[in-house]
Amino acid sequence: MPKLLQTTAAWRISIWTTLAFALGTALAFSIVYFLVARAIQERSDAWLNGEAEVLARVSANMPRDRLYKRIIGEVAELATRELPDERNARGQSLNSVFFLESESNSNESPLWVGPGSDELFLRAIQQAKLVPGIPQSIKVEGWPTTFRVVFRQGKERTMYLGLSDRGATYLLRTLTLRFLVLWSSTVLMGFLISYVSARRTLLRVQRITDTVARIGSEGLGERLPEPVNSDEISRLAKTFNRMLDRIQSSVNELRSVTDAVAHDLKSPVTSIRGALETTLSRDPNEKWRDSVGDAIEGLDRLLNALDTTLDVAEAQAGALQLDRSTVDLSAVVRQLADLYKPAMDERHHEVMLDLEEQVVVDADWGLLNRVLINLIENEIAHLPAGCQVTVRLSSRDGSAILVIEDNGPGFPPDISTRAFKRFVRGKDSHGHGLGLAFVDAVVRAHGGTAKISNSPAGGAVVTLSLPASVLHAA
Amino acid sequence: MRLLIVEDDVAIQGFLKRALAESGYQVDIASNAKAGELKALEGIHDAFIIDLGLPDMDGLELIVRCRAQGISAPVLILSARRSVDERVKGLEQGGDDYLTKPFALAELLARLRNLLRRSSATQNDSVHLQTADLQLDLVHHEARRGDHLLQLTPQEFSLLEYLCRNAGRVVTRTMILDHVWRMRIDPTTNVVDVHIYRLRSKVDHDSAMPLIHTIRGVGYVLKHA
Repeated sequence: MPKLLQTTAAWRISIWTTLAFALGTALAFSIVYFLVARAIQERSDAWLNGEAEVLARVSANMPRDRLYKRIIGEVAELATRELPDERNARGQSLNSVFFLESESNSNESPLWVGPGSDELFLRAIQQAKLVPGIPQSIKVEGWPTTFRVVFRQGKERTMYLGLSDRGATYLLRTLTLRFLVLWSSTVLMGFLISYVSARRTLLRVQRITDTVARIGSEGLGERLPEPVNSDEISRLAKTFNRMLDRIQSSVNELRSVTDAVAHDLKSPVTSIRGALETTLSRDPNEKWRDSVGDAIEGLDRLLNALDTTLDVAEAQAGALQLDRSTVDLSAVVRQLADLYKPAMDERHHEVMLDLEEQVVVDADWGLLNRVLINLIENEIAHLPAGCQVTVRLSSRDGSAILVIEDNGPGFPPDISTRAFKRFVRGKDSHGHGLGLAFVDAVVRAHGGTAKISNSPAGGAVVTLSLPASVLHAA
Repeated sequence: MRLLIVEDDVAIQGFLKRALAESGYQVDIASNAKAGELKALEGIHDAFIIDLGLPDMDGLELIVRCRAQGISAPVLILSARRSVDERVKGLEQGGDDYLTKPFALAELLARLRNLLRRSSATQNDSVHLQTADLQLDLVHHEARRGDHLLQLTPQEFSLLEYLCRNAGRVVTRTMILDHVWRMRIDPTTNVVDVHIYRLRSKVDHDSAMPLIHTIRGVGYVLKHA
């Protein structure tokens, strides 16, 4: 089934549209993500700058007494409360703010308001090359997210204000997660929708293909249904129907021409033949009998050649009418071998049959017989005396394979590539050059193939392959 | 026996009339379907020979019209068409027969005889056939020439039986293939002749009086010379 899926155009179309859709939406999300991340950062940077300004002013106006630390600490605490309350799903506050102020000319420990100890932060700040007034991200050991830090350089004191990116990270992660869920479900949905609609459309094409194939093999009378709407596929059906009309009319034309030729030639030949035959039965004069007999046989050969020519012409134009029935090929071959045994014996040919039983084809019995007779008579006409002819029949992969092989001189190289063309014959051949063309045309009309080759030992090999009909279990 | 031939080709009319008259039939001729229908309605014919390609009407239609008016005599259809029409096959099942042009006179006569015999329903189902000193026992599949038992293969026996049934009448190669091998084909090689040679070598081998004769261009006949 998966292998079958991959061969349908619906599969390929929906894969490509889905891929394009998925990439497009992913790109759109990346842009949104980038914009949101930047907006959040701008917001926190504005806050940091504003608060740093406030704190700097407070610090400049405050005397350095023992209350100083407490007041600055409280101002810093208050500042964190000004932030919109960002909490995660478990209700924990996601903002983390620190404030650090150190005096350059004093050995006092710096003023610290914030989570944990000031040492790790101080180290991280010293490592980062900060520019006054411009917020930057620093990584602090022991904290999973970065801190956005701004610093102000006063005359005596240096002041740092930092805000954890935890809230922004959490927000962006939630955004990404929701996008992924939404994205994968819409992509899947999009794939299903495009697959189903492509498949529905292409099934109409498939129906056209099936019908046209059937029309080709079962006569040209049938037509495709033409839907009222005029989309591309309806137009395809209409175009096919117009084409079938033309093919049918030219096939009918060909048939009426061949019938007319046959009729116009057969009527006079019938009367000539009849006149000759009545002469034979009336006049026992031995002098003419042989000549009259020869004339009759000549007429028969002429008509035979005419019929075969017309059959080949019709078959090659796809206009041969097949009167199909279930034919047991093994039985037909055996019967013909029986019929031709004395003729083969007379030339000291040995016929070997290697026939699989019950090889059944759906074919025109009469035409198939003529095909086989053509091949057998070819052997009789071309083989030097005392050869061996092997006929093998087997069924393989839904085909009936008939191989006729001899150990004679094989096909001459000059005809082996053209042997199936009309009127092509070997230099020493006495036939009218229609035999193999007829074989090929009829086998093709049945949907099979005919091949000629020379065996490694040099003999001629003719291989016919016909579509086998469903074998009934023996 | 009185026959009606409906055929527009004058040359074919001519030789058919001669040949059939020589075989002892009374023959009437119509050159088109209208005239044929009028003559057929007289109801005096034992069989019809009707060409399919008539100038004024399709031969099949003529047959249908005659049948509709109660004419039941068997029809031998002549056709110059290459493929045999489904409708013609239907008629064949209904007891009529068809022959494609050009045909051998011998075959036309044989089929006509067959049709007339069928319509009068007197089948010759004897179990012994005899011509001169050749005897066939159809039950035991034995053939004797005088006192001598012939060693024949089943195929040779069927062939000899067919010749014997038509003793005195010419059979063509096509007829032999049709009746003995059940194949309607026209071989271009001498496949039938070889069978006949073999049979002849057994039947006529040590007899001063040959029975199987070749008629060049026509076929074979088994007869007491």
